Amino acid sequence: MIELDTIKPYFEGKEDVLGEILGRYPDYGRRSAIMPLLWEVQRAERHVSEARLEEIAHIVGVHATEVKGVMSFYSTYHEQPVGKYHLQICSTLSCSLAGSDEMFDFISEETGLVNGETDGSGIFSLQKVECLGSCGTAPVLQVNDTYYERVTRSSCKELLDALRSGEMLEPPRERGGDNEGAEKPKIGSEQRVGREA
Amino acid sequence: MKVKVNDVELDLEPGTSAIDAVFAAGYDVPYFCSQEYMSPIGACRMCLGKVGAPRKDRETNDWIRDAETGEPQIFYFPNLMATCTTAIMDGMVIDTLSKEVRQAQSGMMEFHLINHPLDCPVCDKGGACELQDRAYEYGAGTSRFEFDKRHQEKHHALSELITLDRERCIHCKRCVRYFEEVPGDEVLDFIERGGHTYIGTVDEGLPSYFTGNITDICPVGALLDATSRFRGRNWEYDHTRTVSLDDASGAAIMVDARTGRIERVKGARNTQVNLDWIDDSTRFGHEYVDAPDRLKTPLIRKGALLEPASWEEAAQFIASRLAVAGKRVGVAVRSDATLEEGVAAKALAEHLRGHAEHFPRPAASVIAENPATFTDVATSDAIFVVGDPTEEVPTLDLRIKDALRGVAPPELLAHGVPIADLRLKERMPRKRSILTVAAPYRTNLMRHAGQELIYPAGQEEDLFGGVGSGKAGASLAAEQLNQLKSALSDAKKPVIILGAFVLASAAATRAAEALAESVGAKVMKLGPMANSYGLEALEVTSDGGYADLLTQSDVLILSNLNPAQDVQIGERLRNLDLLIVHDSFETETTGLAHVVLPAKTGYEKEGTVVNLEGRFLNVYPAPVDSGTSEDFIGVVRTLGEALGVRLDGRSVRSARRSLAKTLNHDLAALPEEGLLAPVDAKEIGETVADTVAGNLLLTSSLLKVDRLRRNPKLRAAHGDVALRVNPADAEAQNLEAGANVTVNIGGVARSATIKITEDAPEGLMLLPATFDQALGLTSAEIVPAADLVSA
Ligand code: SF4
Ligand code: FES
Ligand code: FES
Repeated sequence: MIELDTIKPYFEGKEDVLGEILGRYPDYGRRSAIMPLLWEVQRAERHVSEARLEEIAHIVGVHATEVKGVMSFYSTYHEQPVGKYHLQICSTLSCSLAGSDEMFDFISEETGLVNGETDGSGIFSLQKVECLGSCGTAPVLQVNDTYYERVTRSSCKELLDALRSGEMLEPPRERGGDNEGAEKPKIGSEQRVGREA
Repeated sequence: MKVKVNDVELDLEPGTSAIDAVFAAGYDVPYFCSQEYMSPIGACRMCLGKVGAPRKDRETNDWIRDAETGEPQIFYFPNLMATCTTAIMDGMVIDTLSKEVRQAQSGMMEFHLINHPLDCPVCDKGGACELQDRAYEYGAGTSRFEFDKRHQEKHHALSELITLDRERCIHCKRCVRYFEEVPGDEVLDFIERGGHTYIGTVDEGLPSYFTGNITDICPVGALLDATSRFRGRNWEYDHTRTVSLDDASGAAIMVDARTGRIERVKGARNTQVNLDWIDDSTRFGHEYVDAPDRLKTPLIRKGALLEPASWEEAAQFIASRLAVAGKRVGVAVRSDATLEEGVAAKALAEHLRGHAEHFPRPAASVIAENPATFTDVATSDAIFVVGDPTEEVPTLDLRIKDALRGVAPPELLAHGVPIADLRLKERMPRKRSILTVAAPYRTNLMRHAGQELIYPAGQEEDLFGGVGSGKAGASLAAEQLNQLKSALSDAKKPVIILGAFVLASAAATRAAEALAESVGAKVMKLGPMANSYGLEALEVTSDGGYADLLTQSDVLILSNLNPAQDVQIGERLRNLDLLIVHDSFETETTGLAHVVLPAKTGYEKEGTVVNLEGRFLNVYPAPVDSGTSEDFIGVVRTLGEALGVRLDGRSVRSARRSLAKTLNHDLAALPEEGLLAPVDAKEIGETVADTVAGNLLLTSSLLKVDRLRRNPKLRAAHGDVALRVNPADAEAQNLEAGANVTVNIGGVARSATIKITEDAPEGLMLLPATFDQALGLTSAEIVPAADLVSA
């Protein structure tokens, strides 16, 4: 890659990080390190460029195509830098039935973005993703690493407004576990996005 | 293990898959993702069957029996099973005919076709498409899908040689698995996931020598041979199953011709040799056959000009010149001539009281004492390679990789090769440690080797001596060589593979054979061409060799050889009484000839060759329009007629009659996998002083450099002939990457493009040899190319 010659390899001078990641796997399973290496780059640079992809392939000793295959499988990794808020709308079955298509249209109208786009000022990126594993609380919107569940039109609007002013809202929680003690929203007190129209 | 498929009872080996049980019983199930010689993965869900088995009572350890009949009761799996990933069990019952199964299969078919464009009328695969056939046999004929189909790129060039139609892909993953499992070059993968999945690569141009095989195994028209795209429909082609004459492996190929022209070459199956796989040069390197400058009629010299003539005129001319010419006659054929042509050459030489010879022929014999077969290699537990199999005999490269998987070639079943060999897995660990590769430069195969040894060119004898004695040799440490020796001695089935650089030296070959004997290893010798083995066995050889023949004859009859490529030899050939050249194209040598006779290519001949294992294989002619071209048999027939004699080898039949006497085999209609009948080893060859110094190594090449100019597609994909130079040398000599240069080697001037790479060791440049150049070390001078626009 031409880029590689001109920019400094990401892991240059980060031998400790690299050693730690590679050390997690036996030698014959070196390719398992593809995921954590991608994640390391993605976290630091908000995307994984082609040059980084080549670099990881080289480190692990595989063809770049394989790294690309792994990377493109997960919607968490990005080829282009994403905006400050990465809006990921689940479009798999449960969420679809619960109105995620309408949620997508709503957000798309609000932000003026189509699937896969980032706005000019780098605030929002919009992306349809596959099942987020929270089907019971469909429809789900993930903003960066935070889940917003059972999203309604008004909660969605509220959230977008807050984000525009640079504020991440605390997501309302309804279940136990990690979210023990969180306030339960009144289910059914408000119409879902999908049911309006 | 007893199993019952519908109404047929079978007894099969444990570990057999249910799908193979079904086929062994003579029944059929549709399948797309399984593929012979590759891992079954259960991706397409087409091969559904209703599967059940009896169960044992834990307490009594007897079968649970049906209360009424007293027979063991069959417990069916709750769902229909993918038979390709289900292993048989004792007493298993497989049903593939019931309505339930048929409905499920047709449901899956409907599902596969949801996004398929159904553009069979404009698809090259049409008429030979698994999807089309299966849809016809098992589909419902209609679809309930009323929405828009997914649209994707329809002409995506994966490389110069392979085009991908993404709409047609059914995601069976055969192509992706192929690259990982067979050549080990993972250059293709699924990108994205779910309904968005597509086949793609970020390794530009698919950097592998074995890419074309994916066009054979793609069950739909998604992956297509770009060189034959839109050239013809399947049923319009004449299919000829024959043997590739491009290298010494004897790989089976299918030549598809239409109206006298070869449109494509596909891999064919030889379960003992190439399985289903061929390299890209064998597949795409046929375009030269139809080059516009192909010689199609004999030419006779009239003064400075060669003028077209008939075969009879040419033969008469030769006969009259022979009567007055000097008496020393030499006949030489290229080493891919068939055995039958060899007989003809010998008979002609004998009749004219001259000598017959074949070239290229290495200093050492290519017939091994304790010969290894491809199966021996694939099942070996310690392989020591000296050479570059990927370039010399590409099939061997793949068979060595088979050995690394540690799974022996499958036993054949009633229906042939198992469709789903459950021993094979995706991403199997490779036992790289069993493979040691030694060469004077970094070879392709070294990426897969546990140990790589790079030694100074020309020191092969020292290398084997070092391994044998456990002392340091060929600049390699004693410890490394010792390790290798004990690995070979400890192995159950060690194999030593001797490439061209070893065979170029009789002394090195002798040292290698001595090592093989001391560690009990079998030996495979990589002869330079398709019938090197056969022609040596037939003794188409002379005492002085080819070099003497060229210098000490009055009359020379050459078939497909071009010694005048070397201007110094050309000067000598000028003074011959009579020079007859049999070739498919004009060369430097035809330019000096008195008579030029048009030659058939390897695709047009009938005959027999012997591959490097000692396997006799029949070669069949594809219907190619090549004017009045003849093979060497035709030359001898017409000459014999003009001379008034009936020579052995005037026809394939007469040659075979004469061969049957010496070989004791009837060579007509050999089985598809050939007849393995190695002949006794010969004296290794005279030890002459080896060349030990030089700045250039002439190497074997999978891409045939002599034909590259007339194989434009292959050339576009792989580039021009490269002179590989180490970065340090390039800097010292001021050579720039991509620059065109002329490489002067003795009297031979070769043009090449500089490629700077660490593969070449310091102080040694690498250049692929032509058919007429001896492999090995030599001295060369590099000068900038005179004209930058190459012809
Ligand atoms: S391109 Fe062909 S071989 Fe590859 S996954 Fe698609 S259908 Fe299968
Ligand atoms: S379908 Fe949306 S989270 Fe599973
Ligand atoms: S699932 Fe594809 S062949 Fe069995």
